Amino acid sequence: MRERLLVLFSALLLVATPAGATGRTVVQAGAGDIKDWDPAIAFSLEVPMLVNVYEPLLWYNPPGSAEPFTPALATSWSSSEGGTVWTFKLRPGVRFHDGTPLTADAAKRSLERTIALKQGAFYIWDPVAAIEAPDDGTLVIRTTRPAPIDLIASSQYGAYIYSLAAAAQGTDWFNQGHDAGTGPYRVRQWDRGQQTVLERFPDYWGGWQDRNFSRVILKTVLESATQIQLLRTGDADIVAPVPADAILGLTRNPKIRVAQAPSWNNTQFLINTAKPPTDNLAFRQALSHLWDYNTVAETVYAGSAEPAAGPIPRSMWGHDDTIETPRFDPALARQLLDQSGIPAEARHLTLAYIGADEEYKNAALLFQQNAARLGITVELLPGPWGTIWDKAKKLETAPNLQSMTWWPTYATPSDWLVGLFRTEQPTLFNLSHYSNPAFDAVVNEGVALEGSDRPAAIAKYGEAQQILMADAPAIFAADLRTRVGYRADIQGLEANPAYAAVFYYRLWRSAATE
Amino acid sequence: MLRLVLGRLGMMAGVLLGVLLLTFLISRLLPGSPVEALLGAKPTAEQIAAARLALGLDRPIYEQFAVYVWHALHGDLGRSLASGQPVLAEMTRRAGASFELVTISLVVALGIGVPLGMRSAVAQDRGFDHLVRAITLAGMALPSFFIGMLLQMLFYGSAGWLPLQGRLSDDVLLDHPFDPVTGLALVDSLLAGEPAAFGSALAHLVLPVATLALATVAVVTRNTRALMIDALGADHIRTFRAYGLAESRIQYRYALRATLIPLLTIIGLTYGYMLGGSIVVETIFDWPGLGAYAVNALVSNDFPAVMGVTILLATVYLTINLLVDLTYYAVDPRLGRR
Repeated sequence: MRERLLVLFSALLLVATPAGATGRTVVQAGAGDIKDWDPAIAFSLEVPMLVNVYEPLLWYNPPGSAEPFTPALATSWSSSEGGTVWTFKLRPGVRFHDGTPLTADAAKRSLERTIALKQGAFYIWDPVAAIEAPDDGTLVIRTTRPAPIDLIASSQYGAYIYSLAAAAQGTDWFNQGHDAGTGPYRVRQWDRGQQTVLERFPDYWGGWQDRNFSRVILKTVLESATQIQLLRTGDADIVAPVPADAILGLTRNPKIRVAQAPSWNNTQFLINTAKPPTDNLAFRQALSHLWDYNTVAETVYAGSAEPAAGPIPRSMWGHDDTIETPRFDPALARQLLDQSGIPAEARHLTLAYIGADEEYKNAALLFQQNAARLGITVELLPGPWGTIWDKAKKLETAPNLQSMTWWPTYATPSDWLVGLFRTEQPTLFNLSHYSNPAFDAVVNEGVALEGSDRPAAIAKYGEAQQILMADAPAIFAADLRTRVGYRADIQGLEANPAYAAVFYYRLWRSAATE
Repeated sequence: MLRLVLGRLGMMAGVLLGVLLLTFLISRLLPGSPVEALLGAKPTAEQIAAARLALGLDRPIYEQFAVYVWHALHGDLGRSLASGQPVLAEMTRRAGASFELVTISLVVALGIGVPLGMRSAVAQDRGFDHLVRAITLAGMALPSFFIGMLLQMLFYGSAGWLPLQGRLSDDVLLDHPFDPVTGLALVDSLLAGEPAAFGSALAHLVLPVATLALATVAVVTRNTRALMIDALGADHIRTFRAYGLAESRIQYRYALRATLIPLLTIIGLTYGYMLGGSIVVETIFDWPGLGAYAVNALVSNDFPAVMGVTILLATVYLTINLLVDLTYYAVDPRLGRR
């Protein structure tokens, strides 16, 4: 009897042991499950998976690369007529996962469907007037105004080319876990809330090497502590993002690496410019000197962030390096506070932040303490984003400060300047309620030049950043870094701030463990 | 009896309507935008306006409620804003996982707690009793998330004996898939003739069941002990002892039977309590059940899903209480004659 029990227990252990993260399979653990499978709509946590299944016309290269783009489904491209006509030559021999060939007509109808659905990030194509396919290998995009179609076409949202034969079955068909891409991997299986399995697409135009992973398992693991445990034991190869407070512990483990690289996510605390007492410029400037930028970056974010230099991250083109950023200086803050003329009894602020975010919470607590030393009371209002956003849009319920992490929909600095600070009526994301006609004019000029004269656009964006620094509609807190934890035998991991994703096709496992 | 059942069913309908109204009002009147969950991170003003129209959020709240109740009566609980899937279908798919977890945990808790409580009562104020009381007190005091994470560290992190999370291993999901006939992985894997899947399902159940059962064992043990002490001190038990009946017969046949009705009430309440408690356990173990669904719905302002889970849990809780009440009549037929 005892022997039987022993055999049963051993069998149980055998079947219990996860066997994913080995050989030609790579396993990533993350908190998000797929929401929208339709590439025209996807605008959430599914994007890291989609970039391995779908491809845009161009990939945007990481900052510092020799060329701004890597050809994806387009091998060459050019613009004419002052940036209003964009011609893409398509890669020959590409097949969608359903077996149909990539043609200019397929690409045209795919983009037209994305625009017509009016969901997700369709609005990046707003300047488009017409899409033409003069022959099988040429795609022409005409715009109503000069527009950076090369940048738009490399977006991780709403720019994927997919088989319309498959897409004709509708969004519900996609949402059963189907795909219609051209990427190196296709979706093999989706167990909702548990895992998504990708397998290699044998006819991928890029070809396959022996070392490529043939299978990718994306496990849905809600708790970050559980993700870390899986990484430690090797049942997961990759965890992204790892919590800031776990970085130090992980780096002590010789079998684990943590890759950190500049991202295009940055954090600011937007200051309400229309509500007392933060409608006072000197008072806002005082607040920007009460923010302990270095401590927040080094301690709160455990070194996985650096003090921001204005609204646009340093790694994004168009960032103005000449900006003078405020530093933590309580003495200067006191001077500005005196200049503001705000009486002591009115120095009361409300600060809303996403309560579930430990970094926001700790940064807000630090700010609260520093402000208290100067007699400013800061009332902290943690809550869910939906509630914070809803309240912040209306001036009567808006707080004086509120947390905001922003990233661009495609590779453009205008995303911050337009999305967060250009005059907006009704308010959507300009939660500072900031309005400056001079700023609006400069930003609009920059946007108009982006498609035809990028150096001139950069100059305009630089002016806009200088105006923002002078007007202090936000405490520009931190430029965040990506934090990817991975097993030491995983090779080929490259960070690219344009894509919040891991490109599994570029990875391999070092020979020692294969 | 029929009148009783009908009366209780009517009361259930009233309570459900009240729960529905309360949850609906809370979800709609509290500040917070459901459209962000629906539209993704950075929707345009036009997309928000279109979504509000599509969700009927532009209509008066009483009209929204009436529409919701009408659709709910026809089995349509709306679509989840976070996943875009019909709420009823998502809950049906997940209910099996929660039912399996909670039911097995309850059976384990009763299997350990009732005998332990009885033995503790028989050995009242002796060493064994003190030990049981101390252990059960600790079991009640320790929160589920702590127990769960401790078990994960011990049996996965250190020993490597049991899986950390999920309901089935990667290999089983990929290479030994089976159709969800009942929604219970143990049953479905056997029906499909997949012993590897059965083993995996069983192994994945051990830690979440242990976590959920541990706190319940403490509750069941302490209640059984108290009830048994009362029962063993009753006049008729003393009389049985005077007649020289065997102690085991007195304990199991007479004393335990006297505790059954209050114990049934406790079991019914405990099942409801465990359904609530499973939210934490499912989150820790990534168990794809209703608890994890409820948590996701709450954090993403997914009103239709929150409403759906609330209605389902309230219905289950009320049904269990009805069944417990009806069981009284089976246990003590005298109640039916009153």
